[in-house]
Amino acid sequence: MSSESNIAPTDPRHDARVSRAARLDAARRELADASGRGEGGRHAMRQYSHRMDALVQQLYADAGSLTQSVAVFALGGYGRRELCLHSDVDLLILFAGVIGREDERFLHAFLNPLWDLGLTIGHHVREVAEGAGLEVDNSEFLLALTDARPVVGDATLLDQFHGAADVARTNARTLEALKGLIAERHAKYNGTLYQLEPDVKESPGGLRDLFGAQTIAKLTDPLLLANGGSGARALEDAEEFLLRVRSVLHLEAGRHHNILSHEVQERVAERLNYAGSTPSQRVERFMGDYFRHAKAIDRSLRFALKAAPAPIGTNLVRGTDGIRFIDTREAAERPETWLALFQAALDGGCAVSDDALTCVGQNAGRFAAEAFCPTTRHREVLLHFLKPRPGLYARLSEMHDCGMLGQMFPEFKAINCRVVRDFYHKYTVDEHTLLTIRNLERLVENPVRDRERFGRLLGELQEPELLVLSLLYHDVGKWTDEDHTIESARMAHQMFERLDLDPHQRAEVDFLVREHIKMSLIAFRRDTEDPEIVRQFAQFVGTEERLKALCLMTLADVEAVSRETLTPWKEELLWRLYVDTYNHLTLTYGDEVIDREQSLHSTLLDHRPDDVSVDEVAAFLEGLPRRYLQLFSVEAVYQHVRLSRDLAPDAVKVWMTRVASGWELTVLTHDRPFLFSNIAGVLSSHGMDILRGFAFTKPTGLIVDMFHFTDEERFLELNAEGEGELLRTLTDVVLGRADIAARLRGREQGAFRRKLPEFAPVVHCDNESSRRYTIVEIVAEDAMGLLYRVSRAMSESGCDVDLVLIGTEGRRAIDVFHLTRAGAKLTSAQQADITGNLQRVLEGRS
Amino acid sequence: MKLIKAIVRPNKVDDVKAALEKLQISGMTVTEVRGHGKQKGHTAIYRGQEYNVSLLPKMEVEVVVPDSMADDAIKAIIESARTGEIGDSRVFVIPVLESYKIRTGEREA
Repeated sequence: MSSESNIAPTDPRHDARVSRAARLDAARRELADASGRGEGGRHAMRQYSHRMDALVQQLYADAGSLTQSVAVFALGGYGRRELCLHSDVDLLILFAGVIGREDERFLHAFLNPLWDLGLTIGHHVREVAEGAGLEVDNSEFLLALTDARPVVGDATLLDQFHGAADVARTNARTLEALKGLIAERHAKYNGTLYQLEPDVKESPGGLRDLFGAQTIAKLTDPLLLANGGSGARALEDAEEFLLRVRSVLHLEAGRHHNILSHEVQERVAERLNYAGSTPSQRVERFMGDYFRHAKAIDRSLRFALKAAPAPIGTNLVRGTDGIRFIDTREAAERPETWLALFQAALDGGCAVSDDALTCVGQNAGRFAAEAFCPTTRHREVLLHFLKPRPGLYARLSEMHDCGMLGQMFPEFKAINCRVVRDFYHKYTVDEHTLLTIRNLERLVENPVRDRERFGRLLGELQEPELLVLSLLYHDVGKWTDEDHTIESARMAHQMFERLDLDPHQRAEVDFLVREHIKMSLIAFRRDTEDPEIVRQFAQFVGTEERLKALCLMTLADVEAVSRETLTPWKEELLWRLYVDTYNHLTLTYGDEVIDREQSLHSTLLDHRPDDVSVDEVAAFLEGLPRRYLQLFSVEAVYQHVRLSRDLAPDAVKVWMTRVASGWELTVLTHDRPFLFSNIAGVLSSHGMDILRGFAFTKPTGLIVDMFHFTDEERFLELNAEGEGELLRTLTDVVLGRADIAARLRGREQGAFRRKLPEFAPVVHCDNESSRRYTIVEIVAEDAMGLLYRVSRAMSESGCDVDLVLIGTEGRRAIDVFHLTRAGAKLTSAQQADITGNLQRVLEGRS
Repeated sequence: MKLIKAIVRPNKVDDVKAALEKLQISGMTVTEVRGHGKQKGHTAIYRGQEYNVSLLPKMEVEVVVPDSMADDAIKAIIESARTGEIGDSRVFVIPVLESYKIRTGEREA
């Protein structure tokens, strides 16, 4: 029994109920009369929907006070304003926040009177936050939602609800669900619309098919049905006809009934005023019209199913001519969404459609650079877009041709069609620039012969998008006839501010832009067989990451000058300079310790904070390789100085920081046996994948280790206390209070059981490159605990692990260890011994 | 006439060119070449793996000079291309029997 059933006739609420019932009856009578005259089509249903809106609004107002924003939306046929005489009234009641007790009271007060009126209510109650899971909501609800229309309350809640959803996935799922429902329904009717007693709603060619075709168009291309199938006019006529027929069916049956049975066909033909001397003649003519309209709907639906572009993002679909906007007018006002158009084309391996490019081209000039990347998220999306991959050149060229690239990067506009007559560049400066990016992307997939080696370097770069950004800016300074490298770097700094790049990103791009011709000068003009030239160049680039980026930049730049410029001969010179410099950076850096004359040394002393003394800084730096200063920031160095102050022999300073692509762990302590392998082991035992890192040992025995890793098993993410637990375990293991070997054993066995290495590991001992160390290079398939196992094998062989460089290239681990034994390099016998041990470890034989 | 064919280090081409220009020898052909001399290249190591660098990048400079200038030209090339280290490469001198200008068909002595 409803809450209002007990209301006494003297209660004012009784009057309200009577009044509502009277209003509903009047509205129904109005529609019934029109239906009886054969005029219960679009106009009459719109009127009835309007009356229902007023009723819903009144009930909403009468339902009492609200504790939060709420809105009521009409769904399905009611949402389309095609409410028939005995149709269900489908409603969505949307709450801004969590639904509480007061809200439930409101719901009862709102819904009960509707039930009391004898209406069949289909209601969905949702909180805005539930939009986040919309794509997995039930398919009928998703379909009903495509026609959602605000009736009363805060209409913006629906935008918020959709805003929380993954629109692309939701639309794709809605479309798939719709296609499935259509196929299922058609199967019930044996796939034919030529039913002698059709259901005007459910049969093929019925109202559901019409609604289906309209929904497909709405989700993919609003103009779809105007461009194919039976055409917009034929569909309008068919809709009006079927709505009128349905109205008569509801009227005749006095209930929700849509089957056009033989018996009722005569009544419908008569009410729709079909001419004919006999009922049979009238029915034949009427049913003839029915099939004509059903065929029109069927044809349009088939066309929509066949030709609809696939929804692939917010306001984006993929059509036969490429990616385009669904709603061009909306897109025109939102430049921050345009990059998604090109990203979708890049992801889909297709072009951007001409009409989308026209839309962007016609509107790009209206917006300043900031409008394209207004938030941090947009800037991240841009950097992601710039990751080199096939198609990037084509998409950037499209962006350039339609004027978007120049608006987004005004500095690039300065070299639009710029001609520099130097007699060896074959293309305008802007095209040369874009070609450098094409050359880079060609290294990603199927590089030509002898380029695989460069392709691997690209795969090793931690942030290849910075290289693309650098290429984009390397020649922008050529708008002037001054030294273009300096001007390009100056202009790049304007972009740094706009994109709010972090200091590290700025430094990398600045270096590459400013020094982009340095490597070609040395490779092609200097005697690279002279070790001093290589040493100076290694010192100049500083790190392998910069070396790789500069090498690739040089390759891409030289090749973009003309088709003939980059000869295999030049490639070979470039590669040799790269290899010699790489070897210098990784193999001999241990011999190059920080000296007091080094400029950074002086800077560190001069700008030190008050709590750090000159003597402390000098003492800390003494004996560390110069490379230490290239890998740690000035602030980090001071931090190390502070933490190493009075560090007791049995003390460990260890801390973690979150970085863009994972975590960084730094350890400061005194050297002890198995130290390095224990640290690596603790990380592996927690499921961490060590990507990069380095270890330094001072002559005094103080060590500074840094590991960059990713939380593969989400240990830190899922455990609030995870960070503390990891650091505690690490301290216990390092100080010998806990044993990591047992904990790791199970994991290692599991890892070995899972797969066998795909390539043979390489172990190479080098006693020549360094005066002080024996260097062991290991290239092996990356695996859980690999670093732990190899470094432990070294310690077990009696070696001191003094310096370590850890790197990965995809699934390949590339580690370089600088070892000594009793303070000296290893003898030949010791080298053979450790090489054998390591081979056994890497092949899983020990 | 003599054809002087000099195989030099890539970074020495500019020096060789300058030295020849001082002798008023401006016409020359420069080609990127790869090869090895007596040392037959060397072994390099990259990431623990050895690979044989047998063909080294060099530049070939070709000039044709009158017999009277050949000695000076050879001397200029050797002096400008020399580093004193292994890999300084070679100069070859070949007699030229005849020479023709393609445009006019004119024969030069």
